[in-house]
Amino acid sequence: MINVVSLTKDYKTGKEVVPVLKGVDLSIKAGEFVCIMGPSGSGKTTLLHLLGGLDTPTSGSIQINGKELTSQSEKNRTLLRRKEMGFVFQNYQLLPTLTVYENIIFPLHADGKKASPGDVDELLNAVELKGYENRFPHELSGGQQQRVAIARSLIHQPSILLADEPTGNLDRKRSGDILDLLAKFHYEQKQTIVMVTHDMFAAGYADRIILFKDGVIEAEVKREDEDYARFLARFMA
Amino acid sequence: MSVKHSLLALLYEKPRHGYELKTGFEALVEGLWPLNAGQVYTTLDRLERDSFVESLSHDKKDRKQYTITQAGKEELWFWLNEPVGRSLFKDEFYIKFLCASHVSYDNKKSMIRDQKETILKDILHLTHLRKQMSLSGNDTMKLLIEGALLHLEADMKWLERIEEEL
Repeated sequence: MINVVSLTKDYKTGKEVVPVLKGVDLSIKAGEFVCIMGPSGSGKTTLLHLLGGLDTPTSGSIQINGKELTSQSEKNRTLLRRKEMGFVFQNYQLLPTLTVYENIIFPLHADGKKASPGDVDELLNAVELKGYENRFPHELSGGQQQRVAIARSLIHQPSILLADEPTGNLDRKRSGDILDLLAKFHYEQKQTIVMVTHDMFAAGYADRIILFKDGVIEAEVKREDEDYARFLARFMA
Repeated sequence: MSVKHSLLALLYEKPRHGYELKTGFEALVEGLWPLNAGQVYTTLDRLERDSFVESLSHDKKDRKQYTITQAGKEELWFWLNEPVGRSLFKDEFYIKFLCASHVSYDNKKSMIRDQKETILKDILHLTHLRKQMSLSGNDTMKLLIEGALLHLEADMKWLERIEEEL
């Protein structure tokens, strides 16, 4: 469960203060698959970074599973992030000197935990990379690297998966595979997924779509809403 | 006509009666193309007339069973092997656009915008369907949807190109 109240974020460039988020209220239920869309610069990636504790807000509150994120110390925020969250980025962000296997278990390693070979095996099978354990990221295609990143994001069984343009660097076929993979994990394990995207082909995978504009939520629509498709199509066209 | 050949494909496995063919067809297309019973029976009549199917004796519940003939199998194979062309005017929007230009229709911009909206709606429906097919493991339907999505993406690019020129 994610609860965001009156969230703002300003960035300072020299003397100028640029407000990127101008007061966002948002509640995401456990197990929901939410998609955040909007033009570049509308604040969607900033929101994702704040939700993940990768950055701190200027004001406002973020509760993750009942815990206030903004009042935690840096150390506790990191612990909360490691326990509850997984991240997937547009440019994969794998560690280039580590093998596929080592990349996948990295979050556990960082937490001083041991990986159970069974868990890693299961994930490798799920992302269809069995046999690639000892390869390095540069030996893989973009789609394969993103599948490693997804496995890495889920190795510690987080309750929340934050994905920033996970299909942004991939062609239509590969991005379809990545979305199918996220859908499969979501269906089987019921993580909360928050995905930032500008890809309309990704939007159809979400239960709810939140539309950002100029640092605020402009509109939102749920899949079961009667005029879901018409509403979104109008917005995107 | 594809209903005719779909029925032949369903009968290729085993004999079936009319209602089974209706439900079999709907299962094949994942319920996306409802077929009324009347259509099934008129198609079966034509298939029987052309000797592509034969009716067997009635089953226990007094329903007429149909089976595919050798000629029916050959017709099915012939159809499967025949490539499908695509006419320039198969997409009705093309002919609409042509007519709009012909009558110097001054609302072309909104025509294009509404068409884009319709395509986006289709994309959303199909991506959701793709997700469902992926979860249920229907890889063949997933491939069909991928094909349809590629067409829609091309349509979208084409409309954007026209918009630039208007």
